[in-house]
Amino acid sequence: MLAVSINAAIGRGAILLGLLTCLSGIAITLAGIRKHDLRALKSAPRYAYVAFAAALLAFIMMERALITRDFSMKYVQQVGSRDTPAIFNLTAAWSALEGSILLWLLALTGLIAAVARKFRARVGDELLAWAMVVLFVVGLFFFSLSFGPANPFAMGALGVNDGPGPNPLLQNHILVLFHPPILYIGYVGFTVPFAFAMAALITGRVGEGWLLETRRWTLYAWGFLTVGIILGSWWSYEVLGWSGVWAWDPVENASFLPWLTGTAYLHSVLVQERRGMLRVWNLSLVIATFSLTILGTFLTRSGVINSVHAFSEGSVGPWLLTFFAVIVVVAIVLIGRRGDQLRSPGAIDSPISREGAFLANNVIFSVFAFVVLLGTVFPLIVESLNDRRIVVGEPFFNRMTMPLGLTLLFLMAIAPVLPWRKASQEVLRDRLFWPAWCGVGALAVSVFVGAEGWASLAAFALGGFAAGAALRQIALASRRQGWRGVVGRANGGMVVHIGVIIIAVALSASSSYTRTQEFVMKVGETVTFSGHTFTFEGLSLETDDVKTSVKAAVRIDGEAVYSPARSKYLKQGMDIGTPSVKTGLVNDLYITLEGNVRPSDTEARIKIFVKPLILWLWIGGALMAIGTVLAAFPGKRRQPTAPVSADTATSAHNVNDHV
Amino acid sequence: MLFCVVALMIVGTQRDSGPGTPQERIESVSKRLACPTCDGESVYESRGAGSQAIRKEIVRQVADGQLTDSQIVKAIDDSYTASLKLVPGGTGFDALIWVLPIVVLIVSIVGLAVVFRRWKMQGSLTATDADRELVESALREVSDKSDS
Repeated sequence: MLAVSINAAIGRGAILLGLLTCLSGIAITLAGIRKHDLRALKSAPRYAYVAFAAALLAFIMMERALITRDFSMKYVQQVGSRDTPAIFNLTAAWSALEGSILLWLLALTGLIAAVARKFRARVGDELLAWAMVVLFVVGLFFFSLSFGPANPFAMGALGVNDGPGPNPLLQNHILVLFHPPILYIGYVGFTVPFAFAMAALITGRVGEGWLLETRRWTLYAWGFLTVGIILGSWWSYEVLGWSGVWAWDPVENASFLPWLTGTAYLHSVLVQERRGMLRVWNLSLVIATFSLTILGTFLTRSGVINSVHAFSEGSVGPWLLTFFAVIVVVAIVLIGRRGDQLRSPGAIDSPISREGAFLANNVIFSVFAFVVLLGTVFPLIVESLNDRRIVVGEPFFNRMTMPLGLTLLFLMAIAPVLPWRKASQEVLRDRLFWPAWCGVGALAVSVFVGAEGWASLAAFALGGFAAGAALRQIALASRRQGWRGVVGRANGGMVVHIGVIIIAVALSASSSYTRTQEFVMKVGETVTFSGHTFTFEGLSLETDDVKTSVKAAVRIDGEAVYSPARSKYLKQGMDIGTPSVKTGLVNDLYITLEGNVRPSDTEARIKIFVKPLILWLWIGGALMAIGTVLAAFPGKRRQPTAPVSADTATSAHNVNDHV
Repeated sequence: MLFCVVALMIVGTQRDSGPGTPQERIESVSKRLACPTCDGESVYESRGAGSQAIRKEIVRQVADGQLTDSQIVKAIDDSYTASLKLVPGGTGFDALIWVLPIVVLIVSIVGLAVVFRRWKMQGSLTATDADRELVESALREVSDKSDS
């Protein structure tokens, strides 16, 4: 073993190169802006490419260190192991703090390089130049983090020849390969609209230009964040053994917060594009979304909050908190400076209009984000002020967010049918007729199949109402535009809405109507639960290099055998339960093996969860992803002279739908 | 339509009555208590030893049938030094977590109402001849472009 690892030396060198490149990128671009030097500005993309190459090289060296089991490195000592399967050895690169920052850096510099390439022909534009400066500053911060307090290439203790491997929860499901990178791309994706927003504030070009430049970047970032969150829920469901998909864990909340503000922004930006209004609000939402990704990173990686997801306490906390504070202060100062220019020229004529509904949607999303943020940080506030520890958990979040979620479903039903500017009663009556009957139909079906409880019934009814409105829009658009009726921002957005509605209904059903029973079963015994038979056929032992697993064989309805297990991870000494799930369109049968169990036992505690509509969560998530891609494609162009709102004076039948 | 909705809601909500089964009570109580030994999980979610012990106690209390769900939560919470309640109290400093979101919601709605009122007053302004001329010339320009 070398005293200095080649992986560590090259990796650290690459980080230093990236850091210096970002610093040079900032200096050269600023000089170019100041002296109006086009040659200097034209060189900015090259710095972006070099920064990306540096981050990529550092990441490759980390993977190489893990693959070659370079135990001279502290990080490999911490998360590497000679016995870890190849795929989890690969994902070990982001299974602890320093490596996860490295992955973040790779995604961020990749994005900066993509922006530089996309806009390379227009680098002389001051707005773009300032956006590049902001992107380089964010890059510089993360390179500094990786070079300083979160150094992944630090040398470890001498004489170490093996390590414990990643946390067992990070090496028993393939989703560890997809969930973190996709989530990170979503997180860092919001850096682009943030950079352009800051550039707009700095240059004073606070009109709609920056919005149009970043429209698709924002949409893709939101799409990745959405898919990342859905995959995280799926992973939690498949791995943790409590049969849930969302626990309002602080780290889950950290990813949900920018999603909420990002979703609010995607709606309110339409008002600015169409009417030139809400400039300050949109800038604030973009800045809040980016700031919340940094705050979320702080919560996840500083050790201030206990979470099953959180990394152990590190020294990155003060850095992240300072960066968060700097962003907020600089943004407030810039918005204050541009106060006069940001004043919107127009007015919203009526609350009963598309823009009125978007405003209401934004209020609800903002309050939703506030509730999630407050619930997440409240234990910290209480501990620092009252020196007392409290826990804020699922019951608080469910109670506070349920009315907000129902209100959003209602707005999802109303907003798509409202015209811009003003809606008459006739228009509303005409456009809401079928969606409202869809809601009544959904409620009737729910009552018919035995649903109970006002909150769930309201969710199903509003879900039907909102789905009716979305389907109506798609049907009208398809009639006018053929296959393009599902393409474009408005139409793709309706596909996303249907995905959200399916998720809302599935979440409501699974949280309200899950049935559970624990059985102590002898070998050969059959029990009947919720219309299904479960036969316990015995226990078996499986051993590999990493773990020893005791598996139960449970035959469901006399057909296939399902095998929930309890595994002891040898190096960590951790006991992990792994559920087994029979997936169905109506119900999932989710089985876990409970308690301490030995393969020689003749009885076992088997817990059975019957979970309705879980499969529809993933179907809804897939629809949201598909809708996002459809929304990114250009839809049918409106004629420049086409009216943007309905003529409220005419009868409802003569009114065209303007999507 | 409104009649249908009301009737269906009444039928649906009337079913939601009566005490839960023992298993449902055990789960409901375990969702209201934090695992004492693990990070940010409830007793319901956690597979840790501390949660197993609490779950056993909940099973015992439910089978005993003497206490309500809230009394079971309180009894278990009292037996630990650190607070295990996942729902903050409604008094003292903790009440802020319940009050602040409502205050923010009310302030937002009032703010929105004020802004709409201001816009409405602005909206009563009529377009001047110069405004009309500007719009007409822009429309003419667009029309000429599309003709050519």
